Amino acid sequence: MLTRREFLGTAAALPLAAAASRPPVRIAVITTIYKYLSHGQHMGDRFLVGYPYAGEWHQPNVKVVSLYVDQKPEGDLSAARANEFGFRVYPTIAEALCLGGGKLACDAVLIIGEHGEYPDNEKGQKLYPRYEFFQQCVGVFKASGRTAPVYNDKHLSYSFEKARAMVDTSKKLGFPMLGGSSLPVTWRLPDLEMPFGAHIEDAVMVGAGGSDAMDFHALEALQCMVERRHGGETGVKAVQMLTGNEVWKAVSKDLLSAALSRSDTPLGLSELDGRVQDLVGDGVLPGLVKHPAAYIIEYRDGFRATMLMLDGAVKDFNFAARVRESDLISTQFFLTPAPNVTYSACLVQKIEEMFTTGRAPYPIERTLLTSGILESCLDSKMRNSVRLETPALSVAYHPPAESQRCRV
Amino acid sequence: MKLAAVVTVYRKYSHAQHIVDRFLDGYGWNGEYHRPPHELAGLYVDQVGADDLSKERAARHPSLTIYPTIREALTLGGDRLAVDGVILVGEHGDYPKTEKGQVQYPRYQFFQQIVDVYRASGRSVPLFNDKHLSWNWVWAEEMYQTAHTMKFALMAGSSLPVTWRVPLFEMPIGAKIREAVCVCYGGVDSYDFHGLESIQCLVERRKGGESGVKWLEAYRGERFWQAMTEGVWSRELVQAALCRSHTLTSPREGFNDLMPTLDQMKQIVKDPVAYSYEHNDGLRCTMLLMSGLVRDFNFAARLDNPSRIVSTQLYLPMPDGRTTLANFFSPLAYNIEQLFATGRAPYPLERTLLTTGLTASGVDSLHAAGARQETPHLAIRYQPSGESTFERT
Repeated sequence: MLTRREFLGTAAALPLAAAASRPPVRIAVITTIYKYLSHGQHMGDRFLVGYPYAGEWHQPNVKVVSLYVDQKPEGDLSAARANEFGFRVYPTIAEALCLGGGKLACDAVLIIGEHGEYPDNEKGQKLYPRYEFFQQCVGVFKASGRTAPVYNDKHLSYSFEKARAMVDTSKKLGFPMLGGSSLPVTWRLPDLEMPFGAHIEDAVMVGAGGSDAMDFHALEALQCMVERRHGGETGVKAVQMLTGNEVWKAVSKDLLSAALSRSDTPLGLSELDGRVQDLVGDGVLPGLVKHPAAYIIEYRDGFRATMLMLDGAVKDFNFAARVRESDLISTQFFLTPAPNVTYSACLVQKIEEMFTTGRAPYPIERTLLTSGILESCLDSKMRNSVRLETPALSVAYHPPAESQRCRV
Repeated sequence: MKLAAVVTVYRKYSHAQHIVDRFLDGYGWNGEYHRPPHELAGLYVDQVGADDLSKERAARHPSLTIYPTIREALTLGGDRLAVDGVILVGEHGDYPKTEKGQVQYPRYQFFQQIVDVYRASGRSVPLFNDKHLSWNWVWAEEMYQTAHTMKFALMAGSSLPVTWRVPLFEMPIGAKIREAVCVCYGGVDSYDFHGLESIQCLVERRKGGESGVKWLEAYRGERFWQAMTEGVWSRELVQAALCRSHTLTSPREGFNDLMPTLDQMKQIVKDPVAYSYEHNDGLRCTMLLMSGLVRDFNFAARLDNPSRIVSTQLYLPMPDGRTTLANFFSPLAYNIEQLFATGRAPYPLERTLLTTGLTASGVDSLHAAGARQETPHLAIRYQPSGESTFERT
């Protein structure tokens, strides 16, 4: 039986400078698919060919040593990458982590369970096998008596129960874990951070692009701002998801107007003839958004925030909050254009930081809580938009005071 | 306060539409929907085509009247100047080209008609001129002198100096700059001007302020690649600028974000153009149009004391599929508002006089197979505005 101490001993924290002179971190990449513009490709490739960071082409001190792909659709690039960069594609996750041997043979695991053909559940969630991938990695950790840092792309699982189990396992075995979206770490327009310890009175996040892919991004962007409020994160007491005309009653007009004033993508008349629109003041939102949705989040400390999915009105991600200390603040989470999606370089830099130092730059609890908020909101929708108490979401944590957004 | 706008065309995504619309319909600014306090009362449109939007705008804004002449737009149909500010947008529309390929936008002619009204009325009001003053240097200098003589505030230039920077960066006042580049895209006598303004708004803040430009040399085709290889401009700075791009073209299929080698760049960029020039205080700058490689404006400079490279992207939210609104016109509109509110240009007109001259010299050098152009007429000295004027809130 392995002790917690033995597990902890595997991922000692190192300063970045010391890490640079060390041998490269050996990474196993575990992904659903590896195809052009899949998350697996655009994030995985950055560990192979480097990425733009802080005004330089940064070549991380890592070596991708193995790859597992769950599906090989047309356009699969896994074999080509393995051939070019000198690693093997293994038929199982265990073999990828052990490089075909009997024990863990890599120093870090990158799990990208996004894109690929998987069934949906009745809530409309794509059943990506992130939990299953993670469990197989943990199986190798246990059998080897050694662990490695794990990054899990996007939410931990469609199921909060599974997500909770993943985080519990990482704590129990003592390996660092990072997850989530690139929105919290991309540039912001303007370059604004929620003052640490702010008394936030209300907050709204506006997103677009459908469930349950883009709503997760919007919820995590919201969460990375509001977790900085006075007292830290306390967890979520209840959620409610509204659809239809009820949505417009759920949010303060001046907050919504502040958030949308940051948008560069109003649809409707702006698309027609290029004109600027006061989307809130002109009263055009209900006409533009055929299927609005409001994700209402009541936190355990009494704070309340709302995320709106407004497909048809805008295509970017904008936030506004009323803060006691400074009144209204607002910003756009800048999703840079495809195909480069340079915002994913901001995320890969954070992953690299964890792989190199053995410390996650921000708490996995953020992603855990966001995973739960999303699932519970979809449950509320399934149950005619009833307000759902969420005792399981009492996930309390303290975010780092230092901002994690890209500023360089 | 009443305004008049004098424009070449008013169609979707023309500069007139972007700028004048913001005075009519407002725009998102500093976290709220901002409506300028001015009343846009008179409008002159030089070319009205099937895609014209000015009539729709006038129908929706009853306070706006379209007049058949510039004089009437400024006098609102009366005898004397009847507005407190004028917006001149001479960009887009069908105008003949010079033998050097410059589109002869009638900014100078519009300007002359505007100042005729000022003279006849015995009153001058602030004027904004979009982009460079004129394709013709002699005319540009005359416009500058006229504003000076008649003592009205003239503001001009590109939206690049005032748009977002990603990451947030301002050149420290008094910085010791050894060399600067802007890697951007677009055509000659068009986006080259934007690239030059991108450089100038940052380097004018250097130690001693602006000293003017001594000479300029343009590069195109194989000569461009040879100059890049020989280090006529710093490849290190080009690389730093390219690392700020969000639109770098991948040299290889299947890779979405990959830095091309020099050989790969030659395959990607079919018609590269560079203007390399030296300021009177020795600063070397190069504006590189690398269409095909990037679709954004990226600046890098080497500073001394301590020696370091600084870089940023001057970010244009571009409605070419990336956005629906050219919101880089919002900070421009805001600065135009400041011109009208204070009667002073928020940043020096000399910046745009200099970039106007550099654009013309770039065209001349290209037309002369890259021959160096001595530019004694560009010994334009000025100090930058104390406060930064780009969008950051």
